Amino acid sequence: MIGYIASLGRGTLEALSALGRAAMFLAQSAVGIPSREGWHLWLRQMHFIGVMSLAIVLVSGLFIGMVLGLQGYTILVDFGAEDALGQMVALSLLRELAPVVAALLFAGRAGSALTAEIGLMKATEQLTSMEMIGVDPLRRIVAPRLWAGFISMPLLTVGFSVVGIWGGYLVGVQWLGVFDGSYWSNMQSNVAFVDDILNGMLKSVVFGLVVTWIAVFQGYDLTPTSEGISRATTRTVVYSSLAVLGLDFVLTALMFGELG
Amino acid sequence: MFDNYRDVDERYVTDTTLVDVEGLHFSLGENDIFRGVDLRIPKGKITAVMGPSGTGKTTLLKLIGGQLVPDAGRICIDGQDVHRLPRRALFRLRRRMGMLFQSGALFSDLSVFENVAFPLRVHTDLPEAMVRDIVLMKLQAVGLRGARNLSPAELSGGMARRVALARAVALDPELVLYDEPFVGQDPISMGVLVQLIKTVNQALGLTAVIVSHDIKETLSIADYVYIIADGQVMAHGTPQTLDVNSDARVKQFVHGEPDGPVPFHYPAPDFYRDILATRGERT
Repeated sequence: MIGYIASLGRGTLEALSALGRAAMFLAQSAVGIPSREGWHLWLRQMHFIGVMSLAIVLVSGLFIGMVLGLQGYTILVDFGAEDALGQMVALSLLRELAPVVAALLFAGRAGSALTAEIGLMKATEQLTSMEMIGVDPLRRIVAPRLWAGFISMPLLTVGFSVVGIWGGYLVGVQWLGVFDGSYWSNMQSNVAFVDDILNGMLKSVVFGLVVTWIAVFQGYDLTPTSEGISRATTRTVVYSSLAVLGLDFVLTALMFGELG
Repeated sequence: MFDNYRDVDERYVTDTTLVDVEGLHFSLGENDIFRGVDLRIPKGKITAVMGPSGTGKTTLLKLIGGQLVPDAGRICIDGQDVHRLPRRALFRLRRRMGMLFQSGALFSDLSVFENVAFPLRVHTDLPEAMVRDIVLMKLQAVGLRGARNLSPAELSGGMARRVALARAVALDPELVLYDEPFVGQDPISMGVLVQLIKTVNQALGLTAVIVSHDIKETLSIADYVYIIADGQVMAHGTPQTLDVNSDARVKQFVHGEPDGPVPFHYPAPDFYRDILATRGERT
């Protein structure tokens, strides 16, 4: 019994100290806003994290939009309300699916790669040697990745939404015969810029920060062995996914809570 | 125990000291790595720190570089206490140091040329032509000017270490820390490296700390040697005085004898009983 309480206490202390380390880490690296000569590092990371994730995000967005169109149509048509399909597809995507699914895909595609890359740099002493050259790896390695992830995530979410709405159009209008004008005009009149679009973007900004933070911290803090790298990569995907889903509930409650 | 070279020690004390290690205590988990180590690294000399594997020689370099923090004691470089410096000041101090890592630790996303140019690019505003000249000079010195366009993944372990040496001295630092520079070198490059470290030290007047257990090569270029064992300085002196040291442990280490006061085996129960115990379990 005593042993159980002791291990519970030890676990809690370890979790708290990891959280403290992660917070210090974020504070120290987030100040590394790219300087004049650091722009190319930043752009390279934007390319790797953002542009390279574009394909998977857009393809997923297209399929999710198409599924939404199909499912939405089969339900709405029973009520003779298939004209509201555009509004349904757009609101589902902008408020929920685009920020959440894009963040989950981002965690799997870019987050795991970031963890493995930084972890391998640590295991091969590249981070240590950079410190000994007098260059702070938090600024040179971590900061550009953190900022690139932070900025890429909302842009990817926009792409996801746009392609998803087009996917819904392809299925609903082109295939199932919903009237073209009502698909777009219902969407236009019922989607509010601040409530729907900006709130969705705000979610993606938060998710981008959290997922990239978890990914770079897991890479920086791991045990520099092959087993340590594999565990940290897994942790990145698991923690990021849970954090995204949990935070999504909190943010939704804060943003749209009064509607329900 | 150190009576026979106390006078030599005094001579070094009067020299200007660059790195001063005082009462260093450091432990990793349950293991006490250092239990009160005192070292003085004189300016402009080559000082070797030797000792059996696992005595924390690399850890000592990381402590000097400020990457690890001692439990007690202090390390001063040129009068500045490394572990009391704020982060920025510590990074400024590190620009005056070069460190050669055991694995080379080259940046895998940069070519050989860019690896050597890295310290120049981040710390100086030199024009590109001058950066190129300096990098080629450093690579020429380690015999790898022709390998400038290769990526680190294409280099052998020994070559990677030579590129790392070129990078470590790219900024002409005051202090160079060598972590096992001779491991894995073929006889030709070994001889060249030994000469190179000596030449670089004399020509630039820099201070070198070599951590190694390659006794012959290290003693041939070191001005002063510290032998560390069991978390303490076991002996120190010039190579000549250590060679004739009568202490059994020093003799065993310097002459590479398997039998002596320092055990070869990691602590274990009696071998005979151990074997029998296994048989007992099997039957």
